[in-house]
Amino acid sequence: MNCQLCQKELDAYQEGRLSPDMRAQVEDHLKGCEACAKVWKLLIFAERIIDQEKGLQGNPFLSTRIMARIENLETQGHKTIPVFMRLLKPALIMTLLAAAIFLGVIMGNIYKPVVKGKEIPFELALIDDATMEMIDMLSNE
Amino acid sequence: MTEAEIINLILQGDKDKFRLFVEKYQQMVFRTCMGFLHNEDDAEDLTQDVFVQAYQSLAGFKSQSSFSTWIYRIAVNACLNRVRKTSRNVILQRLDTLIGIKELPLSMTDSENPEDILIRNEHIEWLQKALDSLPENQRTALVLSKYDDLPQTEIAGIMNTTEGAVEALLQRAKKNLRKKFFTTNKKK
Repeated sequence: MNCQLCQKELDAYQEGRLSPDMRAQVEDHLKGCEACAKVWKLLIFAERIIDQEKGLQGNPFLSTRIMARIENLETQGHKTIPVFMRLLKPALIMTLLAAAIFLGVIMGNIYKPVVKGKEIPFELALIDDATMEMIDMLSNE
Repeated sequence: MTEAEIINLILQGDKDKFRLFVEKYQQMVFRTCMGFLHNEDDAEDLTQDVFVQAYQSLAGFKSQSSFSTWIYRIAVNACLNRVRKTSRNVILQRLDTLIGIKELPLSMTDSENPEDILIRNEHIEWLQKALDSLPENQRTALVLSKYDDLPQTEIAGIMNTTEGAVEALLQRAKKNLRKKFFTTNKKK
């Protein structure tokens, strides 16, 4: 028997569902294979831990506590905040957020950074547009 | 008095009758919570939450399944939600999956000296992590089968699936656990 087959049969072995022949084969393998023997030990250990957890009894006052919570629930029920009030807070936050974004966009549009205009070359600065000749006068020549 | 009659009375305002359900099913719900959380205090807290939730949604109980199946469903969902919410657990779980669960000490003994108790506790912690690292549906099937000793028919009812699917989930869960045990031992 190899490790794969042995481990496949471990559940059935644990639950006593194996034929006597198969059972003997698994037992032989477990005696000779350290790895499978450890897996087997862990399976038994896991079963024991589950049994321990399963055996724990809840607090004897658990039902009283539960009923007290339900009682509190009933009394708190009268004080519950109306739905529109509960919706008001997130709605207010959303409105403020939208307003902040809107203001940000407006401010961004209003603000225009002072851009230094392109410097006019010295030669062009000397040209006086007012004294320039009319274009039709030039064409007549 | 049948469960349907008790439910009717509760819905008509006799909330004290709910105590009958609490007393009948508290241990069962507590066991399920233990299977998922492995901590007595957390399991008790969640048991309370489950019953409060059941009380609040009692009007929605349609009697299509038994009351126990219904409350098991609430318990399983509450447990899965709690496990998901506990981000610390999730991170640990992911780390475990990525780097492999930490190796086990070799010896296993029941004697009571402090060192052995420490080793034993490490074993318990390791096993709980191995159980917790299973996929949700495999874990649910395993908890309901091992902790609550429920037959596959009932597990199928709670999980809203077929008996065959439950059988497959249980087989896969056991196979995954064995694989984890084997790979941990192999590393040594």
